Amino acid sequence: MQERYDAVVVGSGAGGAMAAWVLASKGLRVLMLEAGRHYDPYKETPMFARNRDAPLRGTGTPDKEFGYYDATIDGGWQVPGEPYASAPGSEFMWWRSRMLGGRTNHWARNSFRMGPYDFKPYSRDGLGVDWPIEYEDLAPWYDKTETVVGVYGRNDGLDNHPDSSPGVLHKPPAPRVGELLIQAACNELNIPCVPARRAVLTRPIGNRSACFYATSCGRGCAIGAAFQTTTSLIPMALATGNLTIVTDAMVYEVRLNDAGKADGVGYVDKKTGKHEAAFGRSVVLAASAGETARILLNSKSESFPDGAANSSGQVGRNLMDTVGAAVSAQFPVLENRPVYNEDGAMGMHVYIPFWLYKEQARGELDFPRSYHYEFGADGRGEPGMGIGHVAGFAGGYGSKLKEDMRRYYGSFLDFVCRGEMIPNANSRCEIDPDNKDTWGIPTLRFHFKWSEHELNMVRHFQAATKEIIERLGGKLQSGDVAPEQAISKGGQIIHEVGTTRMGDDPDTSVTNQYGQSWDIKNLFVTDGGVFASKAHKNPTLTIMALSWRSSDYLAEQLGKRNL
Amino acid sequence: MRVDRRTTLKWLAAAMAAAHAGCTSKEKYLGDEIPAAPGQLLGTAALPAKVGYGTDIDLMNPTVPWPRTMTEAQLRTASALCDLIVPEDERSPAASAVGVPDFIDEWVSAPYPAQQSDRETILGGLEWLEQQSRDRFGSGFADAEDRQQAELLDRMASSDVAKQVEFFERFRFITVGAFYTTEEGMKDVGYIGNVAIHSEYPGPSDEAMTHLAGVLEQLGLQLPA
Repeated sequence: MQERYDAVVVGSGAGGAMAAWVLASKGLRVLMLEAGRHYDPYKETPMFARNRDAPLRGTGTPDKEFGYYDATIDGGWQVPGEPYASAPGSEFMWWRSRMLGGRTNHWARNSFRMGPYDFKPYSRDGLGVDWPIEYEDLAPWYDKTETVVGVYGRNDGLDNHPDSSPGVLHKPPAPRVGELLIQAACNELNIPCVPARRAVLTRPIGNRSACFYATSCGRGCAIGAAFQTTTSLIPMALATGNLTIVTDAMVYEVRLNDAGKADGVGYVDKKTGKHEAAFGRSVVLAASAGETARILLNSKSESFPDGAANSSGQVGRNLMDTVGAAVSAQFPVLENRPVYNEDGAMGMHVYIPFWLYKEQARGELDFPRSYHYEFGADGRGEPGMGIGHVAGFAGGYGSKLKEDMRRYYGSFLDFVCRGEMIPNANSRCEIDPDNKDTWGIPTLRFHFKWSEHELNMVRHFQAATKEIIERLGGKLQSGDVAPEQAISKGGQIIHEVGTTRMGDDPDTSVTNQYGQSWDIKNLFVTDGGVFASKAHKNPTLTIMALSWRSSDYLAEQLGKRNL
Repeated sequence: MRVDRRTTLKWLAAAMAAAHAGCTSKEKYLGDEIPAAPGQLLGTAALPAKVGYGTDIDLMNPTVPWPRTMTEAQLRTASALCDLIVPEDERSPAASAVGVPDFIDEWVSAPYPAQQSDRETILGGLEWLEQQSRDRFGSGFADAEDRQQAELLDRMASSDVAKQVEFFERFRFITVGAFYTTEEGMKDVGYIGNVAIHSEYPGPSDEAMTHLAGVLEQLGLQLPA
């Protein structure tokens, strides 16, 4: 007889590891199933490794899209043996990572709280839907999550960008030259440009060290400064003695018992190819918005002919990604500037939060939602093959080119838009009737379309960016194209959410405010699938805060024997 | 792909098309000088591997799993060309002194689509360059005088023939990337990071801040508080 756990958690990324740690900390017996292999960041992170020591100087390839050293295993836009499709007329990109800790091993660590407007978008502009909770409901869990995760930033008291409680945030690193330059222009233009918030420690937490301002966070962080579940929540959960982890376990269905409750999941052991089952008093899906929807849609039964937990028909619908666009420029004032160590915390130190809520409320903008800026301002970062573009800018060859390289290296700044998409009927995923993966599991097919709301937002971003660039005497290099060309492809920003959205009404949502399935009481979702809207803020922090809140509720309900 | 007759003929066709399009006397000169049936002056590169390093790599021990494929003669020509682009000066050595030709070989021998596309451009371009040099100066490109090499490079860099410009720009892109990622190249361009700092991040140096203050004054902007 196999062990019956209190909870079977599917996935070891942000949502899964948080659920596993919270539940295990409360004394519950937890099984975590991860579709990828075991991963040890203390032994496998190429800290300080030079680009020149990697094949092709570390350049991205179809095997490693984000570069040789990127902390992604058996993943990327394509996973060997695990295809997906885009419907005719759509192009959707789906990033997966088959490793313990999932995509948290390499993410950018940008960690912004959603604000009061973000939870009630329908009330504000009549589009999409409201969340079943408001900001105040989640605020305590944001504080708790930021405390455990470790986030640098500053409380600036800005509209819809909530402050953290005193003492929670870590001190942000000093801005670099390019960031100060942007800040100076923004100050004059009345655009806020404030310390960014990133899940990077600037003071130690337990055995996780403070950042030492070197070696890219995307490779993973063996000193635990840049947050990833494999150096934090997973070891913490294991330390309780209540967590069992099985890797290479590709979950494909939620198993239901005669009473209509979940009694576990079915999975393929990738090492043996055998079909196995794991049993629990509750099931927590945190496999990612796409994969969780796929598992539910593939869990067909007499009581759920359209897939488990899908009586609303909403599973797979309301798929959203962040709106992405970028403009880059060269700045003569940054030419030949003095050398200093510009690595910093590797990611951005300052950013521009959305600043036009009042104008928007007065109807002065032609787009209803908001965006923020991220920057690539570490222009003097370690050279990779991309430095060839500096030569392309300089032109020529020979001694003159070598002089020009010194002159222009570090004189470019990238302005990046990260904006909110509004859910639409054309953006969703479904089971592909014609395709199965190497394990025989039916695969996903994506539909995706931007609307005029997102395109208008990109147009605004481009105009605002040009104003900043012009004020600084910069020369546009790229990104000044029609919004239709400038906007990212669906999924490309890797913030896919919404496929199992939470709500107040079982007819129009998949879960309640705790990520608990309306249809199957002991089935929970704690990944980005539960997002009712996709604020411009990067979703990982909110996934973790929601997962913690849902896990508290799940534990309470298990304790009361309500499930 | 091999740089075979087909590739060389494609290059020839591109140059001929430009010549026939009229353009400038420069293109006409280059087009006219290409013989009707170019040979394999630099030899035929070996077939590249079909398989890359895969999706689960030992990141602590990076290795290039595919063999190099360029011929000695191709490498000699590439070496001469990359040293024209990145020559020795008082701050740093020439490209060939820090292994750039070998990296070009690593790059064009890689099995990935982007590198395979560059392979066609680069190996075809080297063959074309060799042919131009022999026809014009009576010696191979690597053995031509500096002045002669520079003359060919100038013509190519400012050519109206898209293929010639593409070759020059891709070759320069790879050469520059290869060079400035070496220790010598990073030092030259002023990268001094990748060092653990066991205190707060100090931010810009005093010198950098003084420079920035001057820049902001010039722009009529205030230094942020």
